[in-house]
Amino acid sequence: MESTSEPGYVTLASGDGFEFILPRSAACVSGTIRRMLDPNSKFAEALTGYCVFDSFSGLVLEKVCEYLLYNEKHKSSKNVADMDIPSDICLELLIAADYLDV
Amino acid sequence: MAAMRARNKIRVPRRGLTNTRGDDFDSLWIALKKALNEINTKNASTLSFEELYRNAYRITLMQRANDLYENVKELEGKWLQDTVQKHITDTISTSLIRSQGPSELQDQSNERRADGERFLSAMKEKWEDHQVCMGMVTDVLMYMDRVISADKSKPGIYSVAMALFRDHILRAFARTDSDISIYNVLESTILFMIQLERNGHMIERPLVRQCIQMLEGLYDSVSEDENTKLYLVSFEPQFLKESTEFYQAEGRRLLEIGDASAFCRIASQRIAEERERCLYTLALSTESKVLQTLDEELILKNIDEVARLEGTGVRHMLDNNQLDGLLSLYKINARVDPKKTALVNVMNKRIIDLGKEINAAALTAAQGQALSGKKIEEEKKPEDGKKPEKSKEKQSSQQTLSAIKWVDDILAMKRQFDQIWEHAFMSDQGVQSAIMASFADFININPRSSEYLSLFFDENLRKGIKDKTDTEIDTLLDNGITMLRYIKDKDLFEAYYKKHLARRLLMKRSASMDAERQMISKMKLEVGNQFTQRIEHMFKDMTISEDLTASYKAHIAQSADPDQKRVELDVDILTSTMWPLESMSNTDPGDAQKPCLFPKEIDNLKESFERYYLGKHNGRKLTWLANMGTVDIRATFQRSNGKIQRYELNVSTYGMAILSLFNDLPDGESYTFEEIQGRTQIPSYDLIRNLQSLAVAPKTRILVKKPMSKDVKRTDRFFVNNEFSNPFVKVKIGVVSGGANKAENPTQRKETEGKINEERGSTIEAAIVRIMKQRKKSVHSQLIAEVLAQLASRFVPDVMMVKRRIESLIERDYLERIAEEPPTYGYVA
Repeated sequence: MESTSEPGYVTLASGDGFEFILPRSAACVSGTIRRMLDPNSKFAEALTGYCVFDSFSGLVLEKVCEYLLYNEKHKSSKNVADMDIPSDICLELLIAADYLDV
Repeated sequence: MAAMRARNKIRVPRRGLTNTRGDDFDSLWIALKKALNEINTKNASTLSFEELYRNAYRITLMQRANDLYENVKELEGKWLQDTVQKHITDTISTSLIRSQGPSELQDQSNERRADGERFLSAMKEKWEDHQVCMGMVTDVLMYMDRVISADKSKPGIYSVAMALFRDHILRAFARTDSDISIYNVLESTILFMIQLERNGHMIERPLVRQCIQMLEGLYDSVSEDENTKLYLVSFEPQFLKESTEFYQAEGRRLLEIGDASAFCRIASQRIAEERERCLYTLALSTESKVLQTLDEELILKNIDEVARLEGTGVRHMLDNNQLDGLLSLYKINARVDPKKTALVNVMNKRIIDLGKEINAAALTAAQGQALSGKKIEEEKKPEDGKKPEKSKEKQSSQQTLSAIKWVDDILAMKRQFDQIWEHAFMSDQGVQSAIMASFADFININPRSSEYLSLFFDENLRKGIKDKTDTEIDTLLDNGITMLRYIKDKDLFEAYYKKHLARRLLMKRSASMDAERQMISKMKLEVGNQFTQRIEHMFKDMTISEDLTASYKAHIAQSADPDQKRVELDVDILTSTMWPLESMSNTDPGDAQKPCLFPKEIDNLKESFERYYLGKHNGRKLTWLANMGTVDIRATFQRSNGKIQRYELNVSTYGMAILSLFNDLPDGESYTFEEIQGRTQIPSYDLIRNLQSLAVAPKTRILVKKPMSKDVKRTDRFFVNNEFSNPFVKVKIGVVSGGANKAENPTQRKETEGKINEERGSTIEAAIVRIMKQRKKSVHSQLIAEVLAQLASRFVPDVMMVKRRIESLIERDYLERIAEEPPTYGYVA
């Protein structure tokens, strides 16, 4: 749980054991993750900064994280080029996006 | 897409998200329910958000979102009703319920306060818990919420939870056996707290603030409209009602104390308190409302009475120059009334009262003197005829003094009020104009204000400014001008000013020509060009005359025989229409003035000058005003011991004419009054005055009158007083009551008024004609209004007078009546 030592970062874990560490601000682009990590509610994730998403594969979660960082990076700029989405996981990504409220 | 599909096969998502394990609604709900209860009891740290979220997500995907929604609602309702409500009702003591009624005993208040605080903190605690828990629940059920709110038929789970709190806690009965709801208790407790604070106790503001925030967070309706906040709907009106009652009582209490400054102090204190209360205890949005209540109940309803309070009100403050008190009263009054009516009314009344006092003082000073003068006259008559004349003189100068004092008093008062205005009334424009109006009012109450003001200028320009700096003169004149601004009958002032100015110029009494000019330019600024035109012309005449005199002297020096004993001549040529000549001579109107007969040398001089002048300016007519002039003559007196004493006498022109008669008279001979008059043709009035100064005034008794008395009678005889002596060689012999500008006596005033009226008549006619020439035709009322407006800067015309003038113009065929209804006039070209 390396992320607890660093409050600016959180860890997202996939169902098949991949862990992604990314800035809290980027993670909170997702409405679900934001609520999950809300310090006012005292869920286990909020206390530890470690979120497990059983239902996502590492492949999908990686793409999700990529998008979260991509979104954070280009938040204030306009006319940003679309992100490259591999078509083979696009349906899974769609479900994940719905689930994560991004 | 087709191309993409051709390259990569799209991976079909695993259905694992939805159907890995326990995928029936009931088992998922049981897991959720357990978790929700954990959340309610604040045990969430063992729960995984992701897991709960996933459960809710699954249920929603099963199309069972509505069931979940209802289940959660039921669960939370039950929780609130069974656990939380009980907890809160436990903290409601009997004292809180009992004191719902108005009866309130002091000894109960401590108990009630403690109970209240306990109740409020329980309330606050539960509310905060509820908020946090519901926040968490909402987060968990977010996915469900998204689906539910998508069809918009139901409010979000969070607001439902809030409504549950409202229904199950606030609207629940505090006791099973009473119909008082917890909300009622809450409200009365908070109001009680506020009451305590208003009475000067310390209360736990944050606690109250929290409860108020709770009310602000709850809505009366499901739609969560801003205007239906419980705070706005229920609490605020109650609070305002309470405040109204409180401030009504407060107002009564303060009036009973009857101290205006205390009232202001407490009122501003209350305002600050209410502000603070809204900031720290209640809601900001209430501030304006409660302050309005305060303004209305405490200030608006009482301010009039406060301002009028005997002994401490505005009057007292003005009299004692209590700037602080006035300032706070001003501020308080300004809150409720932009015009500050209450304050201004009292102040105006006070100004007018003070002004009337000054008026009355001036009048009594004048009258008192007149009375005492009369008394002296009556007393002294039998023994000595001289005294009454003197006392009359004294009375007149006394009036002058009182006039000057009047102006000084008013200026002092004006200064005082200016200061008050600046420091206490924040230089408020409205108040200033009110002050000015009041000043104008009382100044115009005094019918002699114009005369007095002109006398004031006269006095200052003659003597007052001699040893003053330029700036002092400037302020002095400015002050005078300020008063001029107040005077309505400016033409009357002009008449007096011209008269006084004429004397100053001709008698060379003015202390400083610069100051005179300064004065004129100030007047010009103040009342306009037209006003000073004639006065300026008077100055021009003086300058022209100087040049003329010089050139005449040069002319004589060239042409005349240098050996001849010449008399030097200084002439002032006055344009007769510009100078108030009539008012300077004191002849009776009926008495046709014959030209005075001068001694031969002077007559020669006069003729020579006339020739010279008429040679320069053709077609003009010179009239000699002997009554205005002065002459330096050298007189020799043959003492009885044979010595000869020489004096240089400065006498009036008439005096010179009289004295030169005695040149031809053998020693010891005498002239009677009538003889003198016959030889000089000096008008009786002037002659009497001149003889008085020559033969009666003790220091300048050049002639001896027989019999000795104060009055000059037609039968008196006059001798040269060879024993005349004076420590100085040069002796100035003033003419009695001729020299200085003094207040007018009643007859003179009547004369002046008559003249003014005549002048006003023609001014009005001129205005009417001007207007009609422009309009060609005009309705009566409009014409009158325009005339009044045009003349306002000079004087306030009498409407009757205007009407008469219109009539007279019609009679003289300048105007004609065009229509009767409404009365309309036309201009006859």
